Amino acid sequence: MTGTHLSLILLPTLSCNADCDYCFEVKTNDSLTLDRFALLLEKVLAYMNEQAIQKLTIYWQGGEVMMLPPEWYEQAHDVIQEAAVAKDREIDNALQTNLIGYNNKWNRILFQMFGNSLGSSLDYPNLHRKLPGGSPHEFTAIWHRNFQVAKEAGIDIGVISIPNPETFKVGAERFYSYFVDDLGITNFQINTPFPGGPITETKKTYPLETDQLTKFLLDLADIWFKNGYRNGVKVGPFDELIKYFIEGDAQLPCIWRDNCVNELVSIDPNGNVAQCDCWVTSYPEFRFGNIFSLNSFSNLLKNSEARQRLQSRPRFLIQQEDCLECDYLAICHGGCPIRTYSNTGNLFTKDPYCHTYKSLFSYMEQHAAKLAQSRISGYPKAKKSFLSDIKR
Amino acid sequence: MDPYIYNIPAALVGAYRGRRVIVRSHDPAELAPILAEKNKENLCCLQLLSLTGDIGALLLGKASVPLDLVMSSPYSDYPQLYDLAPLLSRYPVRVTIPVVPGFSKAVRLSSSLNFPVKLEVTQPDSNLVQEMAEVLAYYLHHSTVSQPIEFFHSLLMAFIEEEPLNLWTIQEEDPALFRYVTDQGGETVSPRLAPLDEGQNPSAFLETLITKLLGEKGECTTCEYLKTCRGYFKWPRKDYACESVKALLKTVKEATDELRQDLSAYQKTSGEDRP
Repeated sequence: MTGTHLSLILLPTLSCNADCDYCFEVKTNDSLTLDRFALLLEKVLAYMNEQAIQKLTIYWQGGEVMMLPPEWYEQAHDVIQEAAVAKDREIDNALQTNLIGYNNKWNRILFQMFGNSLGSSLDYPNLHRKLPGGSPHEFTAIWHRNFQVAKEAGIDIGVISIPNPETFKVGAERFYSYFVDDLGITNFQINTPFPGGPITETKKTYPLETDQLTKFLLDLADIWFKNGYRNGVKVGPFDELIKYFIEGDAQLPCIWRDNCVNELVSIDPNGNVAQCDCWVTSYPEFRFGNIFSLNSFSNLLKNSEARQRLQSRPRFLIQQEDCLECDYLAICHGGCPIRTYSNTGNLFTKDPYCHTYKSLFSYMEQHAAKLAQSRISGYPKAKKSFLSDIKR
Repeated sequence: MDPYIYNIPAALVGAYRGRRVIVRSHDPAELAPILAEKNKENLCCLQLLSLTGDIGALLLGKASVPLDLVMSSPYSDYPQLYDLAPLLSRYPVRVTIPVVPGFSKAVRLSSSLNFPVKLEVTQPDSNLVQEMAEVLAYYLHHSTVSQPIEFFHSLLMAFIEEEPLNLWTIQEEDPALFRYVTDQGGETVSPRLAPLDEGQNPSAFLETLITKLLGEKGECTTCEYLKTCRGYFKWPRKDYACESVKALLKTVKEATDELRQDLSAYQKTSGEDRP
């Protein structure tokens, strides 16, 4: 990490109560003990101190995070708060759960540790999210029930949804209506699937057919602009893209940052360190090392050849692909390494969803221009010149 | 108080203590301790002259002191910019790019990584002016450009605000503001002008140049951009034909008019007095 903020995707357990067709993780029963968590955090904070990084966000993911009991998180939260004060660092937490194991016992820790919010995921129609030996329908029914309980408890829930061929058939209007009108969700995002981890019949169909995916996304954006944009509904990545093209700045998803290696890292319950959750669970050859095996997390990151390979990817793309000539280089940089590698077996080529991304960027750019009503935002007028810094 | 900002090699920091300085070095590790000093009020800027070194030492600091990354071979060095992007979260950073064949690749990537850019230009031939024109169009009209590309940006602002800013000032070569101290300790105005003729006073350089140019009744005498340019493109060769660079300045001027119209239209549609 080289910025002033570190994002840690922490997998406290690789155990899961679901069996989704497209899961990119190799599941085990491994879980992190509280003692090991305290040690892990100590090492991460020592690294942050060495690198003058002030803020840490821990993204708690699994496996399924709720396979550990709420009491585990209450104790982990105590460890975090104590360490944050001792090391004078700011630590935020975010939770991603499938909600299958949720009940009201979780509410206290969700309030205390996660700001009364959580992220979950559901597809429409649901073809691939299942309980072990169960059907997608059963999964959806339990999800609906637990979602309602959590919602009634005042928990703010954001949802990630992955389109599939049936999604394209029902169309964007019904898809949007399902989440916003049927479920009352005002914050959801669309992710593209990739065939990470052990191969399954579902994964053999990836990447999704890009023309259909593109049409679906543009239709969905149309509906969002018409019904949701001015009514408090957030649909990712549309909301941040439109913000980018109007205001010149936005929090774009990690797949479009200039180099994700500079911003985030993932650690599994055994202490294995890699770029993100898919890399750490399913691609041992891409692990950076083990945080418990080495004294210095800094040295682990600095000396990892796997990390250096990942870090060099944008440099290669800019010379070998057509990214430099692309109008949208500034908001893509060749896309996601794991989507690329899992689809092509080659890290040093651009994201297979390039065509879809470009179409979406172009659509958002044109729509932003209409919204702005003038070309004022097209001129970098607001930025001061470097000369004014020098002349002080 | 000494009116000048001195661009000095890092080795001369001690000799210029108490004066406002821009400190330059090829080695990031040589600049890092200067940033770590408590009293930095006279430190105006750091210049890193080589982009291939290990910037680890600089990434351990954080300061409001600007950092200028000076490229020497933009056509081949531009991919390195990815490794330098993390500096943006630590300092106000700019990339200075010499206008040499292929420089626009470095501009596009710098801009895409959110670096402000300064073009270091001397007397460009027609091919380079064409490449500059493409960069200017990119700066003016590309929606993902959100940082200045100099000298276009300051010139545009000066035209809009009707400020008497000229290219010597924008390019940080104004003898009234800047001194460049060579590695040997000699003083001139900028590396572009080094060395001056023996005995020539840097402060008088610009006035002497303009007086000569106007006295010779060359194209400067009738140039509509004289106030903006002040003979910038007539150095070192006074016979440099400015027609193509004047077209660049004209494009910036036209963009100013276009922007004024846009602002006016915006005010009318939004009903606001000011945007």
